[in-house]
Amino acid sequence: MVSLTPYENPSYFLMLFVALLPIVIGLLAGRKFHWYETLVSFFFLLMTFGGPKWHQGLALIGYLVFEMILVTLYDRYRKQKNDTWVFVLAVLLAIAPLVVVKMTPLLAHGGNAIIGFLGISYLTFKAVQTVMELRDGTLKDYNPWFFLQFMAFFPSISSGPIDRYRRFRNDYEKVPDRDKYLGMLQKGVHYIFLGFVYKFMLSYFFGTFLLPRFEKTAMATPGLSWALVGVTYIYSMYLFFDFAGYSLFAVGTSYFMGIETPMNFKKPFLAHNIKEFWNRWHITLSFWFRDFIYMRLVFFFMKKKVFKSPKTTANVTYILNMGLMGFWHGLTWYYILYGFIHGFALVANDWWIAVKKKHPGRIPHNKFTEAFAIFMTFNFVCFTFLIFSGFLDKLLFAR
Amino acid sequence: MKKKLWMIFGPLVVAAIVLLGLLFSPFKINRINKTTERQAATSLSPNVLKGEAIKKAALSHKEYVPFFGSSEFSRFDVTHPSVLATKYDRNYQPFLMGAPGTQSLTHYFQMQSINKELTNRKAIVVISPQWFVKKGTDPKAFSFYFSTLQAANFLLTQKGTYTEQVAAKRLLSMPSGHANDQVASALQRVADGKKITKFDRFYLKNLYHMARQEDRLFSSIRLSNNDEKVEKQAKDLPAKDDSKAIEKEAIRQGKEDTTNNDFGIKNDFYKRRLSKKINKFKNFEKDFNYTESPEFADFQMVLNQFAEDHTNVMFIIPPVNEKWAKYTGLSQSMLDGFSMKIKYQLQSQGFNNIVDLSQDGAKPYFMQDTIHLGWTGWLDVDKHIQPFIKDKQPKPNYKMDNKFYSHKWQFLNPDDLSSYK
Repeated sequence: MVSLTPYENPSYFLMLFVALLPIVIGLLAGRKFHWYETLVSFFFLLMTFGGPKWHQGLALIGYLVFEMILVTLYDRYRKQKNDTWVFVLAVLLAIAPLVVVKMTPLLAHGGNAIIGFLGISYLTFKAVQTVMELRDGTLKDYNPWFFLQFMAFFPSISSGPIDRYRRFRNDYEKVPDRDKYLGMLQKGVHYIFLGFVYKFMLSYFFGTFLLPRFEKTAMATPGLSWALVGVTYIYSMYLFFDFAGYSLFAVGTSYFMGIETPMNFKKPFLAHNIKEFWNRWHITLSFWFRDFIYMRLVFFFMKKKVFKSPKTTANVTYILNMGLMGFWHGLTWYYILYGFIHGFALVANDWWIAVKKKHPGRIPHNKFTEAFAIFMTFNFVCFTFLIFSGFLDKLLFAR
Repeated sequence: MKKKLWMIFGPLVVAAIVLLGLLFSPFKINRINKTTERQAATSLSPNVLKGEAIKKAALSHKEYVPFFGSSEFSRFDVTHPSVLATKYDRNYQPFLMGAPGTQSLTHYFQMQSINKELTNRKAIVVISPQWFVKKGTDPKAFSFYFSTLQAANFLLTQKGTYTEQVAAKRLLSMPSGHANDQVASALQRVADGKKITKFDRFYLKNLYHMARQEDRLFSSIRLSNNDEKVEKQAKDLPAKDDSKAIEKEAIRQGKEDTTNNDFGIKNDFYKRRLSKKINKFKNFEKDFNYTESPEFADFQMVLNQFAEDHTNVMFIIPPVNEKWAKYTGLSQSMLDGFSMKIKYQLQSQGFNNIVDLSQDGAKPYFMQDTIHLGWTGWLDVDKHIQPFIKDKQPKPNYKMDNKFYSHKWQFLNPDDLSSYK
């Protein structure tokens, strides 16, 4: 039995093209065949999680069934009552599988949980978000079968972008008119080919060609070295082109299916400050954290009047929010540190903007200061990516 | 709508047709010419080993003699075989196959595309004792020289021998063996002693076709060029092919190039690679052991291939720089054990052309650095290769024995050779 990693080799794209052809023809004729889409989704999930990775496939099925039952039960409950503890319990249960998967390597000396599979963290976002929208009452016509479709939408299952239930449903049910769909096809082709450049040329060049060489030299020299500086920037480039390339594939494929999965990257290295960076980098993740963690924590702190000033509330929440994101990446010191550093950076960023507002006209603002801001943000981000990469862990502790 | 669709997908369709045309066309699109062959003979580029077009083209001419080895080939000294053959009107030219990191396993698979060319030919193998480490060949280095083309070639030319079974198993133990699922499953069948399926054959034929075309199109573009290095060295050689005069020049250059250290190591190598960490090397190699290694079985695969192709092979066992060995604590008795063991494996199967230089590590200017042959060392090698290639040799009579694949042999202590059956 074959097993393919999504978007990894020409055969995958060839199969994708063949499988999508009926969908494209249907949409051009103004029709959607949901049963066929489900079949295609199932086929690609089978290719990804079948064969030698069948245990991951079983884990995925178990996970989907568990989350569907959980969310369905909560939906039924929510139609009657709205107790906070039930909501909290539902969220905790929804993230429980992810917590187990993330904790296992720590407790089992690097071993992997049997309930883990490629993409579990992304699916957890979708599930938790559905529970939260049910709680808010913004999602009223929840449907378990559709929930499954939403969760298991194959183009974005393994690494996002993270879509939203209601947004996805609108696209799913609607058939775009011909002109719009032609535009989507055009964009889809463009995204996929840009993805080829990102993933198979640039990411390969940085990650496979350059990075190992620099890592080797850096490992041979203790402490700070020029090679380590090289690793910092090369890894950052690799991370961006690899992930952005992957996201482009996922978005492009969705467009072919008539679904406008949101973009994940928007020239992140041109951000003027760290806040703007998070509006451009891994956008669906940072917006998810903004909407479902940050906003809710701020609201909670305000309601309970935990902190006196709104500024303190915002600052504490930044740190909690980004810290949590660090934990989500994995329970290692470098992911967690990466999260907290970004939390503190957001605090510093707000402080600086406040200083600027307080003294209007005193701080120059022109093309050069803007260029400097971009330069500084870029370098700061690359430095945090070096932490994120885990290379320091190898360099400092694995000798 | 048609126009719009064409604007979106037209370029894609055209590109796909051009690509498929290039990859599957039955014609040779660019011919390998003499200059490319000449350049490839000393380029040491991985794409020469990975591919087949250039090797096949070059070795179709009788004057190219395949030289199998590793990093020593990249030391283009004044007496390097390629330099000598370039300067003097010898009737042969070495075709160097080897670079840092190439070991027996790489050679076994890269030979698969030139079996026809190796048949009833002569070849030279430079064995590095340093290949024979406990863990065997480094999977990363192996993957650097391994290609789909080699895998497809290997699988499509199965004869059902035990060696093939061993090779398939060995390849599956490397990440390279799993790069393609279909190839991996075909390898598994071979490893289990089964024939590959009809679908495997169909798939592999297409894969082979595509990879071969890719090789033909691109391998000659990315060749490194060492011609200048070779020409430059050749200029320093005396006009007449006279070993005494060449030796004089070799010694002169050796003397001039080894002034910044007491080991007789070439200046720039010492300065670049050793001087900064020289204290670390003291006694660093005292536990090195080249006598117990899976490499012995990999080497046996190469021998088997030579036997199958009836290739007449001369083996060279280079020494280690003795001053350096003393400093790093590398054991000479261990090196002697290695020579004994490898010679046993060779001679008991009928490979009798062996140039054992393992005792010559102390001769002046014999080594260029720590482990690589240098000025007088290459000249010494030349004195053996030249007559071997020039003169008619008796047909070798190989008697292959699969016991050399056994774990017992791989990890046999040379002291127990006398009792080994």
